[in-house]
Amino acid sequence: MHSAETMKEYRGRLHESLDNSYLRETLDKFAVAYKANRLTIFADVNEKELIEEIAAAKDQGLTQLEELYAQFKAEAEKRGVHVHRAATAAEANELICKIAADNDCKLVIKSKSMTAEEIHVNHALEDAGCKVVETDLGEWIIQLRHEGPTHMVMPAIHLSRYQVADTFTDETKQKQDSDISKLVKVARRELRSRFANADMGISGANFAIADTGTIGICTNEGNGRLTTTLPRVHVAVAGIDKLVPNIHDALRVIRVLPRNATAQAITTYVSWMTGAAENTLNADKRKVMHVIFLDNGRTALTKDEICKSALRCVRCGACANVCPVYRLVGGHKMGYVYIGAIGLILTYFFHGRENARNLVQNCINCEACKDVCAAGIDLPGIIQEIRARLVEEEGAPVESTLLAKVLENRKLFHSLLRFGKFAQRPVTGGTPYIRHLPQIFMKGQGFRALPAIASKAFRDRWKDIAKSLPANGRLRVGLFAGCAQDFVYPEQLEAAVKVLAAGGCSVEFPMGQSCCGLPVRMMGERKAAENTAEANIRAFDPARLDYVVTLCASCASHIKNHYVELLADSPLRTEAQQFATRIKDFSSFVYDVLGLKEDAFRKSGRAVGYHASCHLCRGLGVTEQPRNLIRAAADYKEAKEEDVCCGFGGTYSMKFPEISEQILKNKLDNLEASGAATVVADCPGCVIQLRGGEEKRGNKVKVEHIAELLARQLK
Amino acid sequence: MVTIDKEAVELFKQKAAPVSIKVVEVKGMTEAAAYAVDVCGQKDFCELIYCGTDTTSAGVSRADKKMFCAPNLTDKEYATVAELCAAKGFDMLRTGMRGHLEGIDVAFTTADGAIAETATTIIECMSEDIRLATMIAEIHVVALKKSQIKKTSYDVEPYLQKLMEKGPAFTAFISGASRTADIERVLTLGVHGPLELHIALMEA
Repeated sequence: MHSAETMKEYRGRLHESLDNSYLRETLDKFAVAYKANRLTIFADVNEKELIEEIAAAKDQGLTQLEELYAQFKAEAEKRGVHVHRAATAAEANELICKIAADNDCKLVIKSKSMTAEEIHVNHALEDAGCKVVETDLGEWIIQLRHEGPTHMVMPAIHLSRYQVADTFTDETKQKQDSDISKLVKVARRELRSRFANADMGISGANFAIADTGTIGICTNEGNGRLTTTLPRVHVAVAGIDKLVPNIHDALRVIRVLPRNATAQAITTYVSWMTGAAENTLNADKRKVMHVIFLDNGRTALTKDEICKSALRCVRCGACANVCPVYRLVGGHKMGYVYIGAIGLILTYFFHGRENARNLVQNCINCEACKDVCAAGIDLPGIIQEIRARLVEEEGAPVESTLLAKVLENRKLFHSLLRFGKFAQRPVTGGTPYIRHLPQIFMKGQGFRALPAIASKAFRDRWKDIAKSLPANGRLRVGLFAGCAQDFVYPEQLEAAVKVLAAGGCSVEFPMGQSCCGLPVRMMGERKAAENTAEANIRAFDPARLDYVVTLCASCASHIKNHYVELLADSPLRTEAQQFATRIKDFSSFVYDVLGLKEDAFRKSGRAVGYHASCHLCRGLGVTEQPRNLIRAAADYKEAKEEDVCCGFGGTYSMKFPEISEQILKNKLDNLEASGAATVVADCPGCVIQLRGGEEKRGNKVKVEHIAELLARQLK
Repeated sequence: MVTIDKEAVELFKQKAAPVSIKVVEVKGMTEAAAYAVDVCGQKDFCELIYCGTDTTSAGVSRADKKMFCAPNLTDKEYATVAELCAAKGFDMLRTGMRGHLEGIDVAFTTADGAIAETATTIIECMSEDIRLATMIAEIHVVALKKSQIKKTSYDVEPYLQKLMEKGPAFTAFISGASRTADIERVLTLGVHGPLELHIALMEA
């Protein structure tokens, strides 16, 4: 846990992680294994349906928390439980310390609870004179090492058996072997006496059922059962968002939580505690049981229309499991108490913007988390919203404001880009890459060659191109260029026009179009994002077109998924809907709409690999079309982890070049191992990143846009 | 009329294997009990963990005598098991588990229900002794009737509803041995609770 650090300090800590080869290797292996295991364990349930049900039920529950709380309290009290509500972490700690004092508790044992971590209850109890011992193996290890968890489900995933052996040697004052089964036995022996002698047990709750006053906890080790059975006193701490109406809702949570967390069909133990169970130490033979519902900003969050879905979270940790950034830097750099994408969000809401400011910048927006979230939360969307709020509350950094000002004004933006092609001459050395940018601009950027601005932008070539196109095609298509292709890779657009014309389209290129606005949205510049969206809608006048096609997956996904919401209060909201309906990515347009398949292309023998751009495979759900097109035009070579981000993330790679570089390295290693001679992608941003990386490596693999491959192989 | 959902039984067996649950088919309670006693006879002596609450591990050695416990059997069932244990020379326990936190060899229990899709047995443990026995024993053997197995977790909802409406209750879903992967993600069985879970699957 680190407080109020500067971005520079934060990046310093990121470097520590990147240099930790053990952590890197462990998280790499885990990331690959998790995805495969998750796929297997979801094979016998309808994943999409289950996630939709969880989301709908949670949303419904969040509108009636007050009623659920009142009902739970009444039912649990009927069965001998004391039920409390704490508005803040401090209030919860005060309650817990009072219960400890009232019941003369000295030794407190805990089973794993993120909510207890959230309020830092250990410190409070220790200050009150209690000894606190964690009993979940991972939690116990990090407690002995005075560390915080690095994963919500596997808190000690960052440590090796040797480190654990050293820690246990210190704790037991006996030399401990590094054999894992022996280390587990050490915990079994050492913790049994703590279970036996503890006065109070603290647990969390994975769900709290209002209908019957039941709380439930899922554990694999069984420490939860002992923690809630042996001590005289049991205190359960749960976020108020863990309230569900009935048993059916709880059963649904159990179906998704272990599957998504650790790819298990169910945890070894699920303990359903309805009322105070027997405890032979107390005079009345019942345990003293308290349930504390923590608010800590949750009720306020239920009123936050944009961010409230964060409260659907079931704490499975899957968003960390699939995050390419988490995989590199681990949990201590990817959260405060809560970890992963949800951690970035909850830190802002539960632990304040001081702790969240740098963290929320560290999302590459690849949407891998959104894709696996057990509750269907739009995690990257909420992260961007938080960035926007930070900008509104605190003002933006200079470069972000500057970018916003420039992008809002298309003419200024395009003049700067045109000017750029002259200004860059001294640094390109006549190549298509920027070679000698002064150090101040290039800090950390040396891992890939950055492309130069093209000598003639697509928009300046359009007049000539248009002349040679057929006028009365069967479909009227507007071409949305996006900045990267218009000014950096106009040849990709030219290739696309050739394919579209072959498919019988009349192509138009509205000159008033500009940046889609995603970069400014990513930086939290909401107003600039709205203005660019409006400018594009005006330029296209979408109602008169059959389709709008773009070669940039990020532009397509941004327009399709965010324009309507961005312009909800704009006079152009209807047109925004029309635009979103008409926008299509190049590959699915060519394959599905134009129907260009095997017989439209000459199949070459060239080995071609594929990089599945985040905003295409996840943002738009397009997966098969580009691969089928490659198969039609070349010899498709499948690579490992095709759908993992390339590390570009637009402005992300400028902000965190050290992380971008490592993500790119994994990607290029996998692509080269596939035996591909060429790699194609559906997004110019990915092409910038991959081609720039390959240029640095000596161009073992040629990188291009899929449109270029298809145009070349047209019959 | 007791019916057996054969498909559910097969599914239970199929899902038990990957989570290291040992399933054996037996005719009825007598055979199940004999199996549990046999398991106790064949296992190594329980590793005793000193925990300061009992006299046994503090001084008296128990290493020459195994301990078998059966906290939730009917009187008649218990008598049958007790006889088998006596013949083998095992100590036998029905209550007072809190006095034996240093370790018990085998816990033999009967299930209250089961879910096939996750190989889960349901045991109602309002009694402290049942909760402790099923955690402290090194091997837990559960006698489960085939007719108790339902296909999905939603199928046991009415049972849970009835139980919890009445309350208080402490209901356990148990789907394997106590396990952890907290050190280097290496799966290890027997961290705090049983090292093995056996299901004696009874025809009736």
